[in-house]
Amino acid sequence: MKEEYDVIVVGGGHAGIEAALAARRIECSVILISAKMSRIGEMSCNPAIGGISKGTIVREIDAMDGSMAKSADATRLQFRMLNRRKGPAVWGPRVQSDADAYAREQQKYLRKSGVFVLEDEVTELTGKTERVGGVKCRKKGIIKGKTVILAAGTFLKGRLFRGNELWKGGRIGDISADSLESDLVKRMFHVERFKTGTPARIVRKSVNTDVLEVQKSEKSDFIFSFDNSRISDKEDICYATHTNRDTMEITKEYLHLSPLMAGRIEGTGPRYCPSFEDKVVKFPDRKSHKIYVEPMGYRSRYFYLNGLSSSLPREAQEKMVKSLPGFEKSVISDYGYAVEYSYFHNSEIEDTLKLRRTENVFIAGQICGTSGYEEAAGLGLIAGANGGRAAKGMEPIGMSRMISYIGVMIDDVVRKGADEPYRMFSSRAENRLHLRQDNADRRLYDTANRLGVLSEKKRDKLLENLKEAEKVMNILERETIEGIKMTKWCRRTGNNAEKAVAEVPSLYGMDMKILSSVMLDEKYSGYIRRNLRRHESRRNSEKINLKEIESYMNIDEICWESREALQREKPDTLAEAEKIKGIRPTDLQGLLIYLSRKRSTWNTTDGSER
Amino acid sequence: MPYTEKSKKDNISPEIICALATPEGTSALSVIRVSGKGSFEIMEDVMLLERNRLRGMRRKVGNVTENKRIIDEVVAISWPEGRSFTGEEMVEITCHGIPSSVREIIELLIRKGARRAEPGEFTKRAFVNGRMNAVQVIALAASWDKEKDKRTYPGETEQVCRKMLNEIERAREKVEGNIEFGEMHLDSNDESIGNILIELVKKAENFRRIALSIEKSKRVVIMGPANSGKSTLFNVLTGKESALVSEEPGTTRDGSIGYLEIGGRKIQLCDTAGTDGFGLDKAASEAVIKGLDGTERVIWMSEGGRIPPADEVRSKIGEIIEIEAKSDINKKKNNTELIRISSFTGEGLDELKKRISELPGSMSLSGAAKRIEEEIKGAMEYLSSNELDMAAELMNEAEIETRRILGKGENIQISVERALAGMCVGK
Repeated sequence: MKEEYDVIVVGGGHAGIEAALAARRIECSVILISAKMSRIGEMSCNPAIGGISKGTIVREIDAMDGSMAKSADATRLQFRMLNRRKGPAVWGPRVQSDADAYAREQQKYLRKSGVFVLEDEVTELTGKTERVGGVKCRKKGIIKGKTVILAAGTFLKGRLFRGNELWKGGRIGDISADSLESDLVKRMFHVERFKTGTPARIVRKSVNTDVLEVQKSEKSDFIFSFDNSRISDKEDICYATHTNRDTMEITKEYLHLSPLMAGRIEGTGPRYCPSFEDKVVKFPDRKSHKIYVEPMGYRSRYFYLNGLSSSLPREAQEKMVKSLPGFEKSVISDYGYAVEYSYFHNSEIEDTLKLRRTENVFIAGQICGTSGYEEAAGLGLIAGANGGRAAKGMEPIGMSRMISYIGVMIDDVVRKGADEPYRMFSSRAENRLHLRQDNADRRLYDTANRLGVLSEKKRDKLLENLKEAEKVMNILERETIEGIKMTKWCRRTGNNAEKAVAEVPSLYGMDMKILSSVMLDEKYSGYIRRNLRRHESRRNSEKINLKEIESYMNIDEICWESREALQREKPDTLAEAEKIKGIRPTDLQGLLIYLSRKRSTWNTTDGSER
Repeated sequence: MPYTEKSKKDNISPEIICALATPEGTSALSVIRVSGKGSFEIMEDVMLLERNRLRGMRRKVGNVTENKRIIDEVVAISWPEGRSFTGEEMVEITCHGIPSSVREIIELLIRKGARRAEPGEFTKRAFVNGRMNAVQVIALAASWDKEKDKRTYPGETEQVCRKMLNEIERAREKVEGNIEFGEMHLDSNDESIGNILIELVKKAENFRRIALSIEKSKRVVIMGPANSGKSTLFNVLTGKESALVSEEPGTTRDGSIGYLEIGGRKIQLCDTAGTDGFGLDKAASEAVIKGLDGTERVIWMSEGGRIPPADEVRSKIGEIIEIEAKSDINKKKNNTELIRISSFTGEGLDELKKRISELPGSMSLSGAAKRIEEEIKGAMEYLSSNELDMAAELMNEAEIETRRILGKGENIQISVERALAGMCVGK
């Protein structure tokens, strides 16, 4: 262990790991501190990675040389391309994972990279808030660091709930980082509370799987990593079942014992990943909900019940699970519970993931107000890269929302804030046609290069892909097919890479994945350009300068309340004016009318008659 | 947020405006409108009423008096803030339709602190105060235009558009929901999306018909130094058959007038003399520049983009599209900002047309309505070929366009300004 590290990462979850690895790739000395070394990289909830837009984030992480994609490939038990029949821009690669193997794989990457891993609890930041000196640990005492990256997940003053049970912890079987949270609060950081939950785990052999719907892996040559990494040769079966009237009745019967309904949890939960109690309350007319039964690992002794998250008392969970067909005699190994935790309010966060009021503390993962492994890992990579750059005295780099989901996420989290844990959806991205899983390597090459997070090997591989894509593009521009230019041909519904190769001999031998990806770029190009143009013009309107306005009080295009607010805040730009509380769209339009009138001759007589 | 005491005392109110709202000339009755905070006070003043007699929704009969001389007996109706046409404190004075007394009343109001309203200023205030949106303003402007079909009422147009927006939102919700949750959590039901879209197409078609009926054509002026190819471009864009001499009064000094259609919308194009000419050309060009009112949309072209518009021109126009002309002769690209055009080879013409249709001032209702209709029809096709990503993209576009014309979110104040500018005083 060293006297001082370039980067101290607090937390060993999906965010902490990517942060530590990214900082290492820009040649920082890195220490990662976790309360329990053996649980680094654990999948605290469902044993799966990817999904619609989430799977694309995994590929973006890989394009920036993170480890999540490779570990997901190496430990997958099943693969499915979600939305296969809904258009390539919304395809969502998803794997069913061996949870333990995944954690071991991630730990291996940490070890190999030379990150120093310490098992200890960080109790406070040291030094001034404006520029912290490092962290203080319970056992090892003070550790100095140039930058600190907080990736504490659900551990900041984590409270676990199940019926009337309430205990401290960031996750079942773990401690809660109460001291660190109170230090952050003492330092006047604005934190708020969110909650999330996890379902029960069931002993596999106690379930009669014969009556369940079988879900098998899709046959596909898909690989998350652009490196053609090793794919696990193991495969396991998933099952699906449905809840019924009994499940619902039981839930209703115990509803008053739910910690959320009883008002003991203050934090807001995720709307899109609700507990079963929530579903019963919010969708009283739905008679049945689909439940996926997923093995926790290859031939694991436990099943995960995707869709039956609950924090009702043990007794209720027992009855709920047993009401499912095939689960009559099932045995619960771990009961579901809810966790409530502190996260940073968005006003504290900059778009480089640095905390606004400090020079050298960055945050990533659930403490930013997000939820999900992929979201956490994406944030971790950027926090790690920018934290590492800060330690090396380099400028931090922001991400554009027009070229990556990670950029969309950071922009949303920082600018809009979240009133529930933020989960990524493809519909959050206005440039969705461009943010596809197939072109993440090419989309992010420049950014990754500028961030400096690419290893030499990775850069070579990515450059190779870029060159191949360029070759393909040249052919598409040169060749004609069915009498029209290939670039136009790509836009027609139903035309794909296989057809193209069959028709155009010069495409023979090209990498099919890249060919197909470039063809999609071409297919969507008109729409992508339009989105970029709109984004640009929006940004230009954000640039409208309001500094020349000395007094808002006599701009009669704006209502009184807004004039006062504008006068008080004196925004520099229209974009800033927009953010002021109480300013309505009509006020902004009024401002624009006022400005354009000042510049035009349309109204030169204004007021002269007084 | 309620008014604070402080803001009241500061007494920096918006200007009070007044104008005759009924036609000029002798008639039985005329109506004068007064709007802006303090209108009640002025009115109480000129009618010699006690303070606060006009507070709230009131109607007072009395004399408008100046220096003990009665000008006219009037009825004053007070409209409190938030409930009036403009959204501001407002008084409507019904007086006798005698031009001399109407003029005297208005002049008295001006001496008491009001000012004469600009054309369309009442409506503009209604728009700015959120009492009206763009569709209402444009429709109102059109329904006032005597040349136009009076069967379309502003409220109706707006309602049709609003309903369409609701439907688009509903359809988008369905499509996005299917994309995000269809696979894992929902039993997907694409049929209902299809049905919603079929209804939506009908709504969009209907909206376009209404939009077309209430709209005026828009004007774009081509300018630039002599011999930059203005007339050639003009001829190419408008087609050979276009008239060389305009029949429209008051526009002859601008040179030739022609029309082109982009996206189903009629746009008036004006060709002008070179800005660097001599003699008659020079006089004509100066007249054009003098005639610019600060809101004009101009295409500025010069060979190879070498001559930028003079500051005088730039300061007197609203929007500009700059062109590198004769790109077939000048192979080298000089400035990436400019559009390269060749009327000879046709290079850049599509791009130019697109840019013309995107000019903020030229955003017309029917053009937008046509685009919305096309997007929705396109979405439906993509839906049937299982390309939900594209269907969603087009639906999104349709929503943005609809919101834009309803004044929700996107800024369209420039076209509203234009509609307002065409109105007569008092409306």
